[in-house]
Amino acid sequence: MSQFIVRKLIVDERNELFDAQGMRYIEFPSDFKRIRDYAAQVLQDCPEAFLEDGLLEQQLSEIIKNGIKHGNRSDPSKLLRVWYDLRKRVRFIVEDEGEGFVDLDDWNDFYRRRQTALHNQDFDAFLELASYRGPKSGPDDGGNSLFAALDYWNGGMIYSEARNKVGVVRWYSVTR
Amino acid sequence: MEHGLEWKVLGTAPDGFLEFALIGDCDLYNAPSFLRDMVARLGAGPTRLRFDCAGLRYLDSTGVGAIIKLLQAAKAHGGELRFTGLMGTPRKVLTLCNVISIIKEDRRDAARS
Repeated sequence: MSQFIVRKLIVDERNELFDAQGMRYIEFPSDFKRIRDYAAQVLQDCPEAFLEDGLLEQQLSEIIKNGIKHGNRSDPSKLLRVWYDLRKRVRFIVEDEGEGFVDLDDWNDFYRRRQTALHNQDFDAFLELASYRGPKSGPDDGGNSLFAALDYWNGGMIYSEARNKVGVVRWYSVTR
Repeated sequence: MEHGLEWKVLGTAPDGFLEFALIGDCDLYNAPSFLRDMVARLGAGPTRLRFDCAGLRYLDSTGVGAIIKLLQAAKAHGGELRFTGLMGTPRKVLTLCNVISIIKEDRRDAARS
């Protein structure tokens, strides 16, 4: 019998993932049209092995998009702050000026139901639960970035108490 | 930097599927217009669509969301979606969010034979 594990988003203000000591820093205005440019800018001198053929840029873009679109409501006067460390592993702290991810607990419950449907191979139910729709979801929102993120950020994905700051880390199997 | 997405009609395959080649980046900027076009096709009646993704370089959560909405629309309208050539980052992204488990794939060479 396969083991059934459901991860969850965690709030932990004091988590070591929020220790920015030694990390580089950059900040961006919340320009929705430039989200992918911002991710590329952060990663411009990232070691090739960590880029994973564009996957790292894609996952970082999702975090930046969540901060700019859902946090700062694409208000260019609001800043997105990014701390990053690309040595030995990749680690980011991304903070917006919004009200925080207030639906985090609801999202965790949704994710548990989604993964249960998948585990039970109930693909009709899974299709209905494939995208998360919160009270503030827009018509173009994919509603699935955090599902992938929980798997991709294999060293952790932690939210601050205000839920407007996220810390993530991805470790790689081959040490450079 | 501009990241475009083209969805080019390839024609109708012998098995009746209308085939498209997806070329470029299906991302937060391009996926919504792609979705609108395909939903209109699916809404017109039972429609079978196949997407050749060999030229798809990039897929993000908005693109994945578009695929999910198309799968839901196909189910609602009695249509069907199939995919070929999923590889690289788009395949990894679909795998990370488990959506790969509800995608029906054909081999590229088999699709047009």
